[in-house]
Amino acid sequence: MSDEFEPTIIAFLCNWCSYAGADLAGTSRIHYPPNVKIIRVMCSGRVNPLFLMNALQQGADGVLISGCHPGDCHYLEGNYYSRRRFVLMHRLLEHIGVHPNRVHMSWVSASEGEKFKEVVSEVRDKVKEIGPMNQFGRRQINW
Amino acid sequence: MADYVFQKEKIEELLGGMAKNYEVHAPLLNAGIVRFGKVEEGGPALAKLDDYSNSSVPPKELLFPQTETLFRYRLGTGGIEPKVPDAGAKVAVFGIRPCDAQAFAIVDKLFGWDYPDPYFQNRRKSTVLIGLACSSPCSTCFCTSLGGGPTNDEYLDVAMYDLGNEIYLKTVTEKGDELCKSISDLLEEASPSHLEACQNQSKEAASKIRRSIDTNGIPEKLPALYDNPFWEQFSDRCLGCGICTYLCPTCHCFDIQDEVEVFDGRRARMWDTCMFEEYTRHASGHNPRPTRKERTRNRVSHKYSYFPTNFGVIACVGCGRCIKYCPVNIDIIDILEKSIAVEVKEAG
Amino acid sequence: MVDQGELRQKAKEVISREDVRRLIGWKRGTYGFEAAPAVIKDPSEADELVFDPTCVQNPASFVTLEEKPPLPRGVEPDLRKVGVFAKGCDSRALIQQMVEQAYERDHIVVIGIPCRGVIDHRKAEKLFGDVTPDLVEISGDKVVIEIGGEKREVAREDVLMAKCLRCRYPNPLISDVLVGGEVEKFADDDFSDVDEFEKKSPAEKWEFWEKEFSKCIRCYSCRNVCPMCYCPECVVTRLKPQWTRRSVDLSENTSYHIERSWHLAGRCIECMECERVCPMDIPIMTLNRKLTRDVKELFSYEPGTDVEASPLLTSYNPQDPEEYIM
Repeated sequence: MSDEFEPTIIAFLCNWCSYAGADLAGTSRIHYPPNVKIIRVMCSGRVNPLFLMNALQQGADGVLISGCHPGDCHYLEGNYYSRRRFVLMHRLLEHIGVHPNRVHMSWVSASEGEKFKEVVSEVRDKVKEIGPMNQFGRRQINW
Repeated sequence: MADYVFQKEKIEELLGGMAKNYEVHAPLLNAGIVRFGKVEEGGPALAKLDDYSNSSVPPKELLFPQTETLFRYRLGTGGIEPKVPDAGAKVAVFGIRPCDAQAFAIVDKLFGWDYPDPYFQNRRKSTVLIGLACSSPCSTCFCTSLGGGPTNDEYLDVAMYDLGNEIYLKTVTEKGDELCKSISDLLEEASPSHLEACQNQSKEAASKIRRSIDTNGIPEKLPALYDNPFWEQFSDRCLGCGICTYLCPTCHCFDIQDEVEVFDGRRARMWDTCMFEEYTRHASGHNPRPTRKERTRNRVSHKYSYFPTNFGVIACVGCGRCIKYCPVNIDIIDILEKSIAVEVKEAG
Repeated sequence: MVDQGELRQKAKEVISREDVRRLIGWKRGTYGFEAAPAVIKDPSEADELVFDPTCVQNPASFVTLEEKPPLPRGVEPDLRKVGVFAKGCDSRALIQQMVEQAYERDHIVVIGIPCRGVIDHRKAEKLFGDVTPDLVEISGDKVVIEIGGEKREVAREDVLMAKCLRCRYPNPLISDVLVGGEVEKFADDDFSDVDEFEKKSPAEKWEFWEKEFSKCIRCYSCRNVCPMCYCPECVVTRLKPQWTRRSVDLSENTSYHIERSWHLAGRCIECMECERVCPMDIPIMTLNRKLTRDVKELFSYEPGTDVEASPLLTSYNPQDPEEYIM
């Protein structure tokens, strides 16, 4: 075991594209970093920015939100709403001093197992570079 | 009891001396706000005594913190780990105002009532109050109407008077005497002229109090207004926020919540306020105080009627914080004055 | 300077109407530099009403703050209109509430008041101390304040709210009745304060917010005073699921403030009430301003200016920016 910091990344994947993409990566035996802890949601439009805050509070070092490509949403427009939301949320978090590389968003379709691997690797590398989340986690404060 | 003086510029030195035997809390300047906190090196700087009239948050937060762990537990260890503070610890609160000290004497009655609260009481026992008399009270202060005064030392262990370049110090209780002896090498003898100066200051400060309320008859009058539309004129503009109660030195309501993690957790209590809708909401969803009218009534009636009925003392010290910080100008003196003027029809 | 006689006359006409049940305006406060919001139900009370630069509160907040407890059986709800005074910024709040369908346009009667700025009590107290002015008025570029018979003139930026110094809507955007004549636009907003803040590094930004957020006592006054915060039950006080814990510490305070400002994305109309009411002097508008600027920049959207608009986050454009999406 090395002492090197390995980030914990929470990934919210939509049921119809990104989760299936991750599944494909698995069945195709594509290796992707094991740092990512996947939470399946029905649509990227389901992801409330509270989920993101809560993940960061509870010890995630990075968060990934992934859904269908624009235009491909199973519910027609869920990812469009999600896109507006997280573009703003990303900027707001940056404004309070959360490093912009902690929060990521991607479009991964059910056939893009390879892209899922690339996205996760990139997220892992970026989060690893900025180090552990030590700003407003729950445990470290006044317990 | 003894009296001393010390040079005002030596205040940090004095606190340093105190810190050898005591954990010292004092008004600190934290990002623009004066608030009591532990004096630590590298922490927020001490607030300048001339720059503020009183701390934004009352020092009740030292004895009754906003969030306080009652006990902790961890899976597999069997049992709980109580976090009751040590009654033998030595804590000094430097620069508390007479009104806030008076508030402790009021809250004592509640926390020592049917169930003595060890968390509050142990802290209370271990704390020495070094008060600082007010020389320039706020426009919202009305302490003289409630048995206190800007230079009242009744509820203090040591009373201080700011005389410009010097600070005059007078011990009031044995606890205070003990503290002053522990730092006697930093103090000088006081002269009769100091005493005279501080007596003059007392008179002058009391004359600067601009607001007052005659509390006679109010505890008896308020229950008669229970169903009166009288309250609407104030509650119509109430926001239902927690400023008036959180910043009140005598408000003492709390909520208890369990914070559970995977393998461990804690039970903690946090300040609660009767101005919040969920304060009285039942599990069924029914709320006996459905609107801000009932909540406004409860806040005022609790202070000026229910508490005096139960404990014989009005739960208000006239610090004026609820008036000063209320964003919509709900003024408790105004409410009380108008309550006296309301004519109530006799039932039947 | 608004003529108080005209104001009271027009208020009296509105509250005397059969179909109006209450009127929200301002009256003299008991002390200090701020007036008190007034809710009147009878024409006889209209003589209490005032308008001058001490009338800072946003009456739009009180339209949605009114509680409607369950009525006893057989009692019909009073569905008559609510009269409401509105400065330029307040009228934007009313519009945004209607955009979100909090109520219909014919639920309110708007008495518009063109405004040339209101007092920031923090600035005023710093200058004049803990006193109550006899008179406050704006004349030309100066603010005239009379205390104890002595008149003093001060520059606008020394006593007016920051929002007034960058006000783009001094005249109400909607009104049924207008008091006084319209005023000329006297300021503009370039968001230079946001740009200035953004020059900090992430570490410096957090250092700043860490201090500010740890001061918060979670009295929720910023939430309650906000004309846009009118959910029957707020997500931060919900117990099931409990997203934000009640304990007051840096972690939960940060969570609260992010949630609060986030929920105002594309909705904040910059009345600055949240920052005004904060007893702990937290610069809450610094968060809101960032979102306002970004919403304008990314989506060319300005809340509270068009009754026909749809809310920002319940609409979309397929061509929306994708700046950081992989």
